[in-house]
Amino acid sequence: MKLWQKLSLLTVCVLLLTGIVSGGVVIHGVMIYNQSKTMENYEQQIKSTAFALGRELQSSPFESYQKATKISYLKYLIRRYDASEYILIEDDHVICNETAFHLTDPSDARWGGETVFSVIQQKGSQYILLAGKRIPLGNISTNLKLVLVKDISSLYQNIRSQAFFYVLIYLSMIIVAVVLVFIITGRILKPLRELQRAAQDIQKGNLTRRADVHSKDEMGMMAQAFNKMAQRIENQVTELENESERRRQMMGSLAHELKTPMTSIIGYSDSLLHVNLKETQRTRALNHIYEQCKRLERLSGKLMSLIGMYDNDSICFEELPVQVLFEQAALIEKYNLEQQKIKLVYSCEMGSRKLDKDLMISLLVNLIDNAAKASDVGSTIYLTGKDNVIAVRDEGCGIPEEEIEHVTEAFYMVDKARSRKAGGSGLGLALCSKIAELHGARLLIESRTGEGTTVLIKFAPLGE
Amino acid sequence: MKTKILVIEDDNSISELICMNLEAAGYEAFPILDGLEAERFLKALNGNDISLALVDVMLPGKDGFALMEDLQRVSIPVIYLTAKGDVLSKVQGLKSGAEDYIVKPFEVLELLVRIEKVLERTGKSRVAIQIKDVVINLKEHSVTKSGEKISLKPMEFELLVTLASGKNIAFSREELLKRIWGTDYVGETRTVDVHIGQLRKKLGFHDVIRTISKTGYRLEDLE
Repeated sequence: MKLWQKLSLLTVCVLLLTGIVSGGVVIHGVMIYNQSKTMENYEQQIKSTAFALGRELQSSPFESYQKATKISYLKYLIRRYDASEYILIEDDHVICNETAFHLTDPSDARWGGETVFSVIQQKGSQYILLAGKRIPLGNISTNLKLVLVKDISSLYQNIRSQAFFYVLIYLSMIIVAVVLVFIITGRILKPLRELQRAAQDIQKGNLTRRADVHSKDEMGMMAQAFNKMAQRIENQVTELENESERRRQMMGSLAHELKTPMTSIIGYSDSLLHVNLKETQRTRALNHIYEQCKRLERLSGKLMSLIGMYDNDSICFEELPVQVLFEQAALIEKYNLEQQKIKLVYSCEMGSRKLDKDLMISLLVNLIDNAAKASDVGSTIYLTGKDNVIAVRDEGCGIPEEEIEHVTEAFYMVDKARSRKAGGSGLGLALCSKIAELHGARLLIESRTGEGTTVLIKFAPLGE
Repeated sequence: MKTKILVIEDDNSISELICMNLEAAGYEAFPILDGLEAERFLKALNGNDISLALVDVMLPGKDGFALMEDLQRVSIPVIYLTAKGDVLSKVQGLKSGAEDYIVKPFEVLELLVRIEKVLERTGKSRVAIQIKDVVINLKEHSVTKSGEKISLKPMEFELLVTLASGKNIAFSREELLKRIWGTDYVGETRTVDVHIGQLRKKLGFHDVIRTISKTGYRLEDLE
């Protein structure tokens, strides 16, 4: 069952229940009140009539009248007080009854009390009020009783028609209420339907879809939460897609990187097997196969260390003075740099840090290597450590601006031919940024084509 | 005069590999290691005696596709030789006017066969092949040994031409059967052996056409 149907049905039920109970109670109350009011009125009426009759009888020489005279006198008196409403009883006999009713038991003692006794009798659809009282006669010995008979059906008819009217109003109110509830729930549920549609759209893959709900109630809050969730999902999916795209590109580059040495190895071995080569050519071919295999080995070594970086067990941090790192890296690079006639100037103002010695040295050596590859003969490379930042600066050819963000990607080479000739595999900087990341540092590259490149390793401040 | 082939390839070892095999097969190879150098070379080229260019696509300086214009200006047919094996690159290469497209890694025999086909198509194939004192005249379908005419059956001639145009390179019996008798030929590899025997006898090539164990035959002629 839909929510609006439930709400409408619930409203109808609640209204009906409360209506029946409250309406019943009210109508019943009104009826009781009217009844007692009417009875009171008639009791008052019979009281005064009885009193007046008593006075008249006392002031007349009633005792001295003959029996027949007494009766006709009494009849005369009753007629003066509207005989159609009263029945006069003496002891057990009805003396005068000109009403439309017949009193079944005139000897009933209830009619002869000092106070008024009243009762309502139902006869078919008629309601008849009977009220009886002894007429106060002072010292007159006769026992006279007066009974008032009144048809009060109209009272009940009134109440019935009122109840009917009430029910009519009530039913129409219920219809109005249901229509209102229907409209209001429709209004309230509109954002819910929008949310549902948005969720469906997102499920179908439209991740940029947002719920268009601006109300400030719970629905609005829910829609906001929903939109935030959708935003997060979208971001994560995009991130995942980017990541898998990067992976794909890396695999593609890897496959390509493998192809060149493979082509050489296959080609030379094929030649050795099937082609009649001169002795010198055979040696050259074997040399090429050897070199290309070494190249593959270097590549696989770097790849292994790149993948190994994800495996944090092999890393061992120790408190090390940065100065020591600089000295060792400079020592390793000494021969290489002397060959290219490049000077390395280093200065360290940093103290000790928790570092993995081997990884950090390989990071520095990599960066110095890169700087040397970019530098011309006779230039200088500066290695400085200051305020949580290690910088490697060269005066080389620089990196074009649009390439900077890619250089840390695996297998990315700005100048492929030059990098390969210099023995690069395109993995160096990817490795470096991974190492920096492991040390909680970031690798930043600042470069201007023609003016040189500065690579910064930015550590988090000590004590954090 | 040997057929001259331009090898534009940036990887040193692959360049040398190609040149080595081209020379063994009797071509003259000119290696060029980068795009800009190739461009300079082609601009300076005076009187065209180069029959074919093998061009790598990814080259430093100027890539292989961009070089096509320079190569076409001096009407040198092009075979692309590249690691890019995707269909799109192949289509791009062939559409730009290349005669063929070979994906690395390649087999030496395949490379030579394709080179030969392109040379045939572009009318730049050799007129005659000389092996020691034997001259094969491709136009006249005749063979002379020390100036004397030697009569060969058509299939023997075809076999000799195939072996000679891929000299120093080993052909398997199946390969020879397929190329000379055609793929439809239902014959035995014995057929090849018989014809080889005839060639050796008629031309005195007992030491020139060598049997390579487990492979097939090779016509050896190192200068």
